[in-house]
Amino acid sequence: MVEIVFLAPFVTGVIAFFVPRSLGRPLLVLTGALHLLLSILLWIRQPEPLFKAYFAVTPEGMLSLLVISLLFFLISIYTVAYLQESDIKAENIFTGSMLLFLSTMTMVTLSDHIMVMWIAIEATTLASAPLIYTHRTGASLEATWKYVLICSVGIALALLGSVLITISMDVGQVDAPVSFSALTSVATQLDPLWLKAGFAFILVGYGTKMGLAPMHTWLPDAHSEAPSPASALLSGVLLNCAYLGIFKTNKIMQAAGLGDFSGMILMGFGLVSILAAGTFILKQTEYKRLLAYSSIENMGIIAFGTGVGGLGAYGAMLCLIHHSLIKSSLFLTSGNILLGYGSRLIDKTGNLVNLMPKTFVAFFSGFAAISGLPPFGIFIGELFVVMGAFKAGHYAGATVLVVSLCVIFAGFANQAMKISFNSSEAAISLKERASLVLPQYVLLATSLILCFWIPDTLYRTIMNAVTSVTGGF
Amino acid sequence: MIKSLMFWVLAIFLAPFFSALILKVKAFFGGKKGPPLLINYYTLVKLFKKGSVYSTSTTFVFKLGPMVSLSSAVTVLLFLPLAGQAPVFSFNGDLLFILYLLGLGRFFTIAAAMDTASPFEGMGAAREAYFPIICEATLFMILILFYVLTGELRLAAYFTGSQPFGLWQMAGSPMLFVVIALFIILLAENSRVPVDDPATHLELTMIHEVMVLDHSGPDFGFIELGSFCKLFFYASIIAQLIMPFESGYLALNLCLFTAGLVVVYLAVGIMESVMARYRMDRVPKFLLTSFALAFFATVITLEFIK
Amino acid sequence: MNIPVDTILSLVLLSILFSFGSSRLPGLIKVLAFQGVIVSIVPLVIGHDLTTGGILFTLATLTIRGIVIPLCIYLAIKRVAIRREVEPIVGYHASLLAGLGLIVAAVVVSHRFEAPSSSASVLLLPTAIALLVAGMFLLMARRNAIAMVLGYIMMENGIYLVGTTFSVRALHIVEFGILLDVLAGVMIMAIILQNIKQTFDDVDTALLRTLKE
Repeated sequence: MVEIVFLAPFVTGVIAFFVPRSLGRPLLVLTGALHLLLSILLWIRQPEPLFKAYFAVTPEGMLSLLVISLLFFLISIYTVAYLQESDIKAENIFTGSMLLFLSTMTMVTLSDHIMVMWIAIEATTLASAPLIYTHRTGASLEATWKYVLICSVGIALALLGSVLITISMDVGQVDAPVSFSALTSVATQLDPLWLKAGFAFILVGYGTKMGLAPMHTWLPDAHSEAPSPASALLSGVLLNCAYLGIFKTNKIMQAAGLGDFSGMILMGFGLVSILAAGTFILKQTEYKRLLAYSSIENMGIIAFGTGVGGLGAYGAMLCLIHHSLIKSSLFLTSGNILLGYGSRLIDKTGNLVNLMPKTFVAFFSGFAAISGLPPFGIFIGELFVVMGAFKAGHYAGATVLVVSLCVIFAGFANQAMKISFNSSEAAISLKERASLVLPQYVLLATSLILCFWIPDTLYRTIMNAVTSVTGGF
Repeated sequence: MIKSLMFWVLAIFLAPFFSALILKVKAFFGGKKGPPLLINYYTLVKLFKKGSVYSTSTTFVFKLGPMVSLSSAVTVLLFLPLAGQAPVFSFNGDLLFILYLLGLGRFFTIAAAMDTASPFEGMGAAREAYFPIICEATLFMILILFYVLTGELRLAAYFTGSQPFGLWQMAGSPMLFVVIALFIILLAENSRVPVDDPATHLELTMIHEVMVLDHSGPDFGFIELGSFCKLFFYASIIAQLIMPFESGYLALNLCLFTAGLVVVYLAVGIMESVMARYRMDRVPKFLLTSFALAFFATVITLEFIK
Repeated sequence: MNIPVDTILSLVLLSILFSFGSSRLPGLIKVLAFQGVIVSIVPLVIGHDLTTGGILFTLATLTIRGIVIPLCIYLAIKRVAIRREVEPIVGYHASLLAGLGLIVAAVVVSHRFEAPSSSASVLLLPTAIALLVAGMFLLMARRNAIAMVLGYIMMENGIYLVGTTFSVRALHIVEFGILLDVLAGVMIMAIILQNIKQTFDDVDTALLRTLKE
C-alpha cells in the first residue's frame, strides 16, 4: 500500500481548506510527522504498490521521498511559528496548499508510469501557485503569473516529450508498459531518433521546472515572493522532483546507449545555468533572490554532474540531497531576517551577528555550506563532480565550472558579509524563539552528519540510484 | 477559331450585365429594389453619347489612359478560355504576357491620373501602385503552383477540357486556398469593397475611383467597360476553378460556367453588403493574407506530390 | 492521400495563419475555438480502431476545447471589459510572414523524422510542429495576457495532435492528461487574470514588468 503516503496528505490538505487556523496549524505539523513516519516505514518495509502499472518504489524516488518528508516535517514546525509572527490573510488556503503540494510531490517520487509522473509534476505547479500568491500584492501576483505560465508551457513540452517516447516505442515495435522501469529494460529496442527528441523535450520541460537556464526566469521571482516556508519547499523539494523526471529519462537514454547525447545536453544546460546564476548573484540586491539564484547554480551543478556520469553522477546525487537540506534551511533563515528587518533588500539589513545572533549562526553556516566550504556535503559533492569531469575528459567544462564556482563564492560571500556585519540602525522586533531557529539547525546538522557518516542503507540506496544510470565507477 | 472569337465578343458584351448583379445583391441586402439589370448598358450608352471635357493642364497621356486600360482588358480576354473552350490566342508563357498586359493598363491609368496634377488623384495613384505589388506576388505564387502541377505556362492549359478538375485532383484541399486567394485578388484588383469602395465619393478613402474623377464622357465609358472586362476576367478564372466539371456538351458546360460566374458575382455582392471597407493601413494585411494562402497552398501541395 | 484528414489539417494550418493575423481578441478566440474543434475531430477521422469509449472521449474533448473553454474566455473578457487589441510585439505583417516561414520550416523538419506506421497523413507531423511553435510564438509576440493564454492553448492543440494520432499506446491517459492540463491551466490563469484585473485595472502584461533582476 505505497499509495497511502501521498493520499494521506491529500486528504488532510483538503480538510485544511475548511478548518479554522487553530486547527489548521496542528494539522500541518501532524501530517508532516505522519508523512515522515510513513516514509520511513516505506523505506524499511519496501512494500508493493497497489497500482503496479503506475507506481513503483525506486532507489532515487525513495531518496527524494525521505528528503521531502524530513524537510516538510521541519518546515511545518517552522511554519507554525512563522504564521504566528506574520499576518497572512487566508491561512487555510496556505496550509491546505502546503499539504496538497506535499501530496503531489510525494506522488512524483513514487510514480513510475511516464504519464503519471507528468500529471504529478503538473499537479505540483497547480498546488504551489496559491502559495506564491499568499501575500496578495501586485508583485506576488506577477510572480504567480510568471510561474504558472512559464511552468505550464514547460510542462506542456515535457508532455510532448513523454508522448514522443511512446512513439519511439511504436516505431521500434516494442510491446511493454509505458513505465520508466519497463522502458529502461527494453531501451535498446526503442527508435533512437524519436527517443532523442523525446529526451530533449522532457529535459527542456522538466528543466523549466527545475530552474535550468535559460528557462529559469520564473524561479527568482517565485522564490522571493512566496512566504519563506513555501520558498524553502519550492527550492528544497520541488526542484528535486523535476530533476527526478530528468534523471529517470536519462536512465532510459543511458540504457539505450544514447548516454553521450543526453550527457552533452545535460552538461550544456548545466554550464549555462551556472554561468547565468553567477552573473546575477554578483549584482543581486535582494537576499531571497540571491538564494534563488544560488538554487539555479546548484541545479546547474547537478545537471552537469548527471551529464558527466560516473563519479560526477554520484557527486550530483550528494549535491541534490545536501542542497535540499541547506537551501531550505537558508530560506527559513531568510524568513527570520524578513520578519526582523521587514525588507527584502540587502542594503536594509546588516549587523545580523549582534541583532539576531541565533539566526546569524544558521545563516552564516548555511552560507558556508551552500558555497561549498568543507566540511559540508556540497563541498564533497562538487569535488566529485569536478573530479568526475576531469576523469571523463571534459576539461573545458570542468574549468568553466571551477572558475564560475569561485566567482559565485566571491559574490555570495560579499553579500553574506554585508548582511552579517554591516552596521545597521534597524530595530528588530522579532523574538528568536526556538521553533524559528531549531529547524534550520537540525537541517544543517543533518547535512553535516551525512558528510561524515552515511548510514549503510542510505549509501546503498544512493549507489543503486547512481549505478542504474552509469553502471558504477 | 470562329467559336472562340464569338465567345470573346460575348464575354465583352456580357461583362456589364454581370457587374449589375452585384448592384442587385447590394440593393437586396439594403432592402431596396435596386437598379435594373441592364443599368450598366444604359450608363455606357449615356456616356458614349456625351462629349469629353479635357482640362487645359493635361497632355495626351491623359487621353491615352482610358484607351490603353480598355484595350489591355479586352486583349486579356482574348487569352481567356471560356467554359472549357480554347481561347483565341494561346502560346507558351502567355501567362506572363497577360499579367504584364494588366500591368500596362494599370500603368497608363496611373500615368493619366498623375497627368492631371491633382493631389487627390496622385494619392489614389500611389495606392494603386502599392497594393498590386502584393497581388502580383500572390499571382506568381499561384502560377508557380499551377506550373508545378501541370508543367505548363499557358493559361489555356489550366482551364480547357477536364484540366480544372485535374488540378483539384492533384492538389486537393489546398486548391480551396488558391480559390480564396484569387477571390481576394479579384476584390483588390477591381477595387471592390474591403479594399476600396466603388460607390464612395470621398476622395480621401478611394483608390481606383479617385484616379478617374477627371475623365468624362466616352473616356469614362472606356474606363468603365475596361473595368467590367477585368472583373469578368478574374471572375471567370475563379468560376472555372469552382465549377471544374467537363460534361462533354457545350451547352451544359456553358450553363455550369455561367452558374460559376453568378456564384462569384453574388459572392462579391454579398461581401460588399456585409463588410465595411478596411482602414487604408489594414489593406496590406488583407492582401498579405492572400499571399499567405497561396504560398501555403504551394508548400502543402509540394509536400503532397513529393 | 487521405482527403478528409488532409483537408482538416490544412484548415488547422490555415487557422494558425489567421490567428497570427487577427488583431482583436474576440476574433482570436473564434479562431482558436475553430481550431480546437477541428483538431479534436482528427482522431475520429483517422480512426484507428475506434471504440465507443474512444468516441465519447473525443466528443468530450471537442466540447471542452471547442466550446467550453473559448466560451469561458469570451465571457471573461466581456465581463471584465478587457482591452480588445492583442497588442503585438511583433507586427501583424511580420507575424504572417513568420507564420509562413514556420510552416515551411515545420515541413522541412518533419522530413527528418521517420513517421510511425500508424500515421495517416503526410501533413500530420508538420501540422503538429507548426501548432506547437505557433503557440510559443503567440506567447512571446503578444503582450495581452489573454492572447498569451490562447497561445498556450494552441500549443496544447499541437501536443494533442501528436498524442492522439501518432501513438496508439496509452491513448486515453494522454488525452486525459492534456485535458487536465488545459482545464487546470486555463482555470488557474482565469483566476489570476481576474486578480490581475483587480490589482492593475488591466491585463496588459507590460504592467507585469516590475520584477527584474
